[in-house]
Amino acid sequence: MPVLRLIKAYLRVNLQMALAYRAEAVVHIAVNLMWLGWELLSLTIIFNNTATLGGWGPGELVALLGVFRLVNTLMAAVIWPNTEYFNTSVRDGSLDYMLLLPVNSLFVVTFSRLTLWRLWEPILAVILIAAGLGLSGAGAAPLNLAAFLVLVLAGAVILYSLWIALIAFTFWFTKFDNNVTILQALLDTGRYPATVYPTWLRVIVTFIVPIALATTVPLQALRGELSGPQVALFLGISLLSLWVATQIWRRGVRRYNGASS
Amino acid sequence: MTAEPVVLVDNLSKTYRVPEREGGFAAAVRGFFRRTYRDVPAVQQVSFQIAPGEVVGFLGPNGAGKTTTLKMLSGLLHPSAGGARVLGFTPWQLKPAYLRAITLVMGQRNRLSWDIPAADSFLLNQAIYRLTDADYQRTLAELDELLELGPLLKKPVRNLSLGERMKCELAAGLLHRPQVLFLDEPTIGLDITAQARIRTFLQEYNRRTGATILLTSHYMADVTALCERVLIIHHGRLKYDGGLTDLSRQIAPFKLIGVALGEAVAADLSRYGTPVQTEEDGDKHFIQVPADAVTAVTARLLADLPVHDITIADPPIEDVIERAFHE
Repeated sequence: MPVLRLIKAYLRVNLQMALAYRAEAVVHIAVNLMWLGWELLSLTIIFNNTATLGGWGPGELVALLGVFRLVNTLMAAVIWPNTEYFNTSVRDGSLDYMLLLPVNSLFVVTFSRLTLWRLWEPILAVILIAAGLGLSGAGAAPLNLAAFLVLVLAGAVILYSLWIALIAFTFWFTKFDNNVTILQALLDTGRYPATVYPTWLRVIVTFIVPIALATTVPLQALRGELSGPQVALFLGISLLSLWVATQIWRRGVRRYNGASS
Repeated sequence: MTAEPVVLVDNLSKTYRVPEREGGFAAAVRGFFRRTYRDVPAVQQVSFQIAPGEVVGFLGPNGAGKTTTLKMLSGLLHPSAGGARVLGFTPWQLKPAYLRAITLVMGQRNRLSWDIPAADSFLLNQAIYRLTDADYQRTLAELDELLELGPLLKKPVRNLSLGERMKCELAAGLLHRPQVLFLDEPTIGLDITAQARIRTFLQEYNRRTGATILLTSHYMADVTALCERVLIIHHGRLKYDGGLTDLSRQIAPFKLIGVALGEAVAADLSRYGTPVQTEEDGDKHFIQVPADAVTAVTARLLADLPVHDITIADPPIEDVIERAFHE
């Protein structure tokens, strides 16, 4: 399979680059653990003052934190490093080379750089989700678990699509280095359940910016709060967003005319 | 030309739309709210053909439209008008089969990852271009032999010198054995030895593989060593398409002689040739002399004056081209 071979080759290169900067990996893992501690601490503070947050108990919020971290891994391990690489390559013109490779340009742009030491985070996230669910006393039915997994994937696809659209805008506005800062800010709204926000904000967060969906909705499925059609709808939205993003990307590439003339 | 042309360019044109504003703060504010654009014709109705195995030099001053043409031919840019076929493909459709058959190497851009040795980037290319291990090893061995890559491949790219890096960049661009090479200033910034090395390599590569090469360069030596035929482009228009020997005979049948004289001497050099102003070398005076008179004039200079140093050089390519359009 050429695609698998390609993925293997990219993983190999990234592993080599990661090994070239060992100290960086160690520092980052430490900082990451500190963040996790801080997040758990803030949850403790919140629940010392109230029993539920938007109808969600402490255990469920720990699980939400887990889902948030799962999605955040995509952000930190794939989206950030590739955006940085992409923005640099637009500026120094090496994007020209990327576009002339005989493989899908979107693949090259999104998987060239992977922060491999981030990949321990999904494990941590799964532990958080399991612990949170255990804490809330809610066991998960197999069907709900399946819906949860599908929706996490769909959430990731939505996030990915938004990202593609944002970096593709660079083709129109050459100087758009903050493209992904916007995305991170949006993602951070997903740290708490969408139901804690006032209605108007919830509308924005849920419909205009479907990132909170990426974290809240899968957990709702796990709690058995979603119907089959709702799950299907969400899946549909994710596929649609991917299609729209691909179109934007293709138009962007067409527009692109290099760093110099 | 008996063989079917590899590159067929027909009235190719590209116009850029660039934002325009005057200097000054008020203009900047106005420009923020209301952009005005200007159409810049970068390439205008350029037509030419290149036969298989030909090495063609593409010359012109900065901003003449060379890079734009190369970018259109490699598929990066859509033309505003006109068409082109390379190996039977329309380049800007970016068909994978096309991209596997060509390469674009730009002297001022990097394709190799900075932090890892070139050998590792090469393996990535092997996967991207779907080369079998046997093919890959064979090509790599050949490139290694021609470019003497050996130890360079194992060092992180950031630790290589410019010349060493360029060798690796070229190798990376050729691993998939492309039939058509578009080279944009492949020797820029390199020292004389490295330039010569790259030149010999391209010559040998062309001889062995029969690849078609279209190259731009600022260095006359690149062009004279490699190309029998040149295309000259100026202000986006093709001004000359023909043999190199004809070109220099027609346009620049002269050489530049530079002489450094003792401090006290203020000799009138106009007796020997046409004095020329140059930016470099404050203490050296330059005169322009017909190519066939160089030996005689040099002998006279050495006999008549206390010459400390003397150089004989081809006129800069920019001058030759400038001359082509102003005479």
